[in-house]
Amino acid sequence: MNEMLLELLRTHATDGWEVTDVETEGWEFYFIGHKLDQSRTRSTRHTTVCVYKKSEDGACLGKAGGEIAPTATRGEAEEMIQKLLFQASLVKNPYYELVQPAEAAAPAPDGEIPSPAEIAADFLAVMRNLPETETEDINSYEIFANNKKRHFMNSEGVDVSSSYPSSMIEVVVNARKDGEEIELYRNYTSGSCGAKELAESLSRTLAMGRDRLLARPTPVSGKLPVVFSTDAAVALYRYFISRLSTGMIYQQISDWTAGKDVMEGALGDRFTVRSARDLPNSSANAAFDGEGAPIRDETFLKDGVVRANFGPRQFSWYLGQRDTFLPGNFVVSGGTKSAAELREGTCLEAVEFSDFQVDPVTGDIAGELRLGYLRENGACRIVSGGSVSGNMREALKEMRASGEARQYDCYSIPAVTRIEGLTVTGAV
Amino acid sequence: MKAEFSSYLNGIAPGLARLIALLDDFDYASVLAADSVGFAVRVGQKNMSVENRTMTTERGAVLRLAKDGLYTEYAFNRFDPEKPEETAAAARKAREGQLAVLAAAGAGIYETGILPDEPWTIDAAFDTEETPEGTDQASLLASLKQISDEGMTLSENLVDVRLAAQTTHISKLFLTKNRNLRQTYVYSEAVVLPIASKDGKMVMAYESLSGRVGPELFRGLSGKVAAAVKTTEELLGSDSIEPGEYDIIASPDIAGLIAHEAFGHGVEMDMFVKGRALGADYIGKRVGSDLVTMHEGALCATNVTTYAFDDEGTPAGDVVEIDRGILKTGICDALSALRLGTVPTGNGKRENFEHKVYTRMTNTIFDSGESTLEEMIASISFGYLLEGSQSGMEDPKHWGIQCIVERGYEIRDGKLTGKVVAPVVMTGYVPDLLGSISMLSRDRGVFGSGGCGKGYKEWVKVADGGPYLKAKARLG
Repeated sequence: MNEMLLELLRTHATDGWEVTDVETEGWEFYFIGHKLDQSRTRSTRHTTVCVYKKSEDGACLGKAGGEIAPTATRGEAEEMIQKLLFQASLVKNPYYELVQPAEAAAPAPDGEIPSPAEIAADFLAVMRNLPETETEDINSYEIFANNKKRHFMNSEGVDVSSSYPSSMIEVVVNARKDGEEIELYRNYTSGSCGAKELAESLSRTLAMGRDRLLARPTPVSGKLPVVFSTDAAVALYRYFISRLSTGMIYQQISDWTAGKDVMEGALGDRFTVRSARDLPNSSANAAFDGEGAPIRDETFLKDGVVRANFGPRQFSWYLGQRDTFLPGNFVVSGGTKSAAELREGTCLEAVEFSDFQVDPVTGDIAGELRLGYLRENGACRIVSGGSVSGNMREALKEMRASGEARQYDCYSIPAVTRIEGLTVTGAV
Repeated sequence: MKAEFSSYLNGIAPGLARLIALLDDFDYASVLAADSVGFAVRVGQKNMSVENRTMTTERGAVLRLAKDGLYTEYAFNRFDPEKPEETAAAARKAREGQLAVLAAAGAGIYETGILPDEPWTIDAAFDTEETPEGTDQASLLASLKQISDEGMTLSENLVDVRLAAQTTHISKLFLTKNRNLRQTYVYSEAVVLPIASKDGKMVMAYESLSGRVGPELFRGLSGKVAAAVKTTEELLGSDSIEPGEYDIIASPDIAGLIAHEAFGHGVEMDMFVKGRALGADYIGKRVGSDLVTMHEGALCATNVTTYAFDDEGTPAGDVVEIDRGILKTGICDALSALRLGTVPTGNGKRENFEHKVYTRMTNTIFDSGESTLEEMIASISFGYLLEGSQSGMEDPKHWGIQCIVERGYEIRDGKLTGKVVAPVVMTGYVPDLLGSISMLSRDRGVFGSGGCGKGYKEWVKVADGGPYLKAKARLG
């Protein structure tokens, strides 16, 4: 930590401060086919400071934040802190307390953190050993392998640090037949490489490319059950997570407070949402959150009924939920069906969207369909085009899921989810 | 007044020039250094915040080096101008380490020529009335709170009226052996976001402002609140649309969204290099009706991404992508231009100094036409006037398009009926959509309050727009 900065913070008349210092060593490789387009390295340090100032009567607490560059002189750093103090004095939010040391987690022992070189080498090995064929292959890919060190301190005495890997790979897959070529896009985030899962997913994607070549324009328009069996489903469950946030509740966007049955009268499954401090190879595994609060396993929604909320310190304090935190990983469960049962009867299984979205405020669901399987009368047609839309308030009334789970980086969710009565707009 | 160039960058410029000289054994060496400052304030009924950070604030630099056909980059933000040899050594070491891993993996290289380095010196400082550094933030916060309070009186259904205002003072320095480029400008953006609820239904609307101007822009926010609140009332009373193909009129912001997703991303020529864009096969061919002319470039409008040179030191441009329905050319970053044997168009952009350059949009805009909005509405027997751009997604490989639109106003027998549908998902095949454009209004708007990703990452500022345009589209 920058001692000069800490000294300045301690000697200025703040009513609190937080410093987050992140050092990143990153390696990046960009490939066209399997030829290296460019390579990049990053060696950076970012120090973010938040300064707090109480109102004269103590009823309000203002906060202002900014980055102090590692090249900043003492004069520049002092000028920034004075500016933050002034800005914080303008911000009139109700008072709340910063995280206290007694609440903070003991620093987690750093395990073996692979270097960016090791992570990148693992990614390279996966990409060079995929089951490519003359008709299904890799168009291009981008590898991002980072090693990060994060150190958080606040004026109350919290002092925690961690080191962790953070990776991403973007892959574009081509498939071709009779002069026609299609592409599928994938973007995976994780801690380190996760070679086995990545290889399996990309192998499935190559097979999916074959199906997309056979797809015909989506023929139907109207209400249909829609089955989600890929990462698009994360957006559905993020809606649950956002509704449970104290920020959304305090600002009257959500009413998912303790005791509320959010699936009252619903015909489908009753879902459970919990935080997990660690998920296998998640990029969000951490012992403490961005404000120094310890992260733990806790259930927020149990069988459709809210048990607790989570969120940033400020809003949680206002709601009287003072022992909470901002989780990085979430586990959603509660599905009671098998994947096969969820695919029964007439339904559209949507496996590829251009950009599937669920609005956390309105609950609106929308996405252009790039690949789907339309099951009707015992037959299955491969379809593409058109869109799926609806609203989560309605969707919750009849939403079912598999007991089997699948993990997408920091989300473990049911592997298959089915919602009755979404609007499917055809492409013809 | 003219925006003032960063004193920090002026201070390290000699050290960066020495750094370039120390790397003279490379076939090409450049450095882009940025020192951009700004702030964002958010005010609502329940909370307010101030951050000295926007999407484009940064301080750092990136070296680009080429040797034996391979380009490598080294991004850093702890540069000591008295010790450039340390940074040069670190960049060399990083490159060598990466080459060793690549060699062990047996990876080949996509060989690329040497970027041109003709002498060019520019010191561009653009006009601004105010700057982020000189803003009276106490008055700004007070005025935003007053606007929020007054907005809350406009409807009993309002949960909150939020306002966000942000402004950034950009300074960038680009150096090679022969180039010494400096530019500085201020851009600002603001939005009013009322949230309303009724009978369990929650809606949110917005009205925005943007421009390559200073924080004086924020004075226009008060005039936007009533329209935004009116939209929330319309959304609360809206129905779902019956899926199908309709005659539509896209408002200027939706026209901009179509321009951006259809033939903005569709002709980013780094996608041509990878064989990821159908546009490469359609140069010189018809992709829209005779009415469709589309420009792209930092110089074809003045908005949030209007600059003098891009992040590769290429002069800003104004490209006619589509001329009366015929696809003429795309936009191109410098490395892709080398690979394709064409010229760069000033569209090489980075999210910030830590990110790679890609071909990216700046201002993407349909030309205007000869009709009026009233004539366009009168020409439709059943269709929708679409307003409120929410998001879009490109699909250059297949020319699909997804535009999520906030609301549609029903038109029957040439008149608006007052019925509103929301939200609306517009999808289709780009040439069909552009080919169906049959009327364009005389006026046009340009909007720069959003950001643009490449796939799902690499966020940069862009602006887009056009006139009202009449077309056929599939809505759901």
